[in-house]
Amino acid sequence: MNRARSLDVVGALARLGLAAVWLVSGLLKVVDPDQTYIAVRAYDVLPDAGVEVVAALLPWVELALGVLLLAGVGTRLVAALSAVLLLAFVAGVGQAWARGLSIDCGCFGGGGAVEPGETTYLQELLRDAGFLLMAGWLVVRPRTVLALDDRLGTRRMG
Amino acid sequence: MGGASRAEKRRKQEEADRRLAAAGIRVPQKRNRTPMIVVAVVIVVAVVVGGALLLARSLTATVEPTYTATSDGAIITAGTGPVVIDVYEDYICPACERFETRYGNEVTTALNEGKISVRFHTIAILDEQSNPAGYSTRAGNAALCSVPAGIFPRYHKKLFDEQPAEGGAGLSNEELIALGTELGAQGDFAACVQGNTHQDAVAKETETARKDTALQNEKGQFGTPTVAIGGKKVDLNNTSWLQNALG
Repeated sequence: MNRARSLDVVGALARLGLAAVWLVSGLLKVVDPDQTYIAVRAYDVLPDAGVEVVAALLPWVELALGVLLLAGVGTRLVAALSAVLLLAFVAGVGQAWARGLSIDCGCFGGGGAVEPGETTYLQELLRDAGFLLMAGWLVVRPRTVLALDDRLGTRRMG
Repeated sequence: MGGASRAEKRRKQEEADRRLAAAGIRVPQKRNRTPMIVVAVVIVVAVVVGGALLLARSLTATVEPTYTATSDGAIITAGTGPVVIDVYEDYICPACERFETRYGNEVTTALNEGKISVRFHTIAILDEQSNPAGYSTRAGNAALCSVPAGIFPRYHKKLFDEQPAEGGAGLSNEELIALGTELGAQGDFAACVQGNTHQDAVAKETETARKDTALQNEKGQFGTPTVAIGGKKVDLNNTSWLQNALG
């Protein structure tokens, strides 16, 4: 296996890994809309109407990103969108930490207020940083094995 | 097609493109747009699905309450129907706000039609979630004050519509009074709210509920919202819990 091919495999792992992240997190949010609302509200950033909209749309957008990454369509674009969304999460968790709120990020279901000693902001941010690395790889080098992008006749900007 | 021959083909194609470009001929790059279009379509579909579900939920009009309520200690009994439902709520609890938003209309309709009566237990387990502490008790007290003031059904809903965020100061007594005045509170509602008249009753009811093993979850904890029928905790994950109770 040559070097380029190996890098394609690494890329595929990043793509499928990130796809799994979005599919799992999206699914856990979709099945419990009330909990998702509570989780979004706990960040205490948006007015109630904004919380409604974000809580309603976010799970479906996560699922869409997951499906697209799984298929490997427009990998670079989807990875860039993933990075934007992850940065928004990092900002949300970061502001909660900085303001001294005690919440669970609700990243994979759950969410809402927790006891002051039970926050895990550092772990949540490190986890997001890991996901950002995967997205970053795919933005820089979107070529992966087993991607639909090959069949659609492009490996350039998707 | 192997990787090598594919790369070879692409190289030839690119070379041809370059020659055409040099000759001033634009090569349409149509096929390269396909992935972008697919991405756009999938994301739009996702947003439309989520938006449609949100719209369907938010388009339902509020059912106006016509039932009456009485109170005893920190328990408010609404309606007079034969099926008795015990509801345990804390006014700062976000899950209670969701419960009211999701099931409020259904419960109000059943109360209006005289099918059920609801015993609202005023609980304050989240006093520490406001800063300064104590919003749960103050709001619960105001809800109890709203019963003799003749505005309970609407005031109860109002307290959840205007529910403050956890971690904040909560609504001040003045704000709690203003909400009641808006709804036409009668008698000494303001004094009742300011005096935290029912504080001890709320504390006592909270303790009673906490100790009631029938209301606890698998971990042996009591939380809000909790709904019980005939002394048995109802599984609120089952969205047709009320229909089931009505039989």
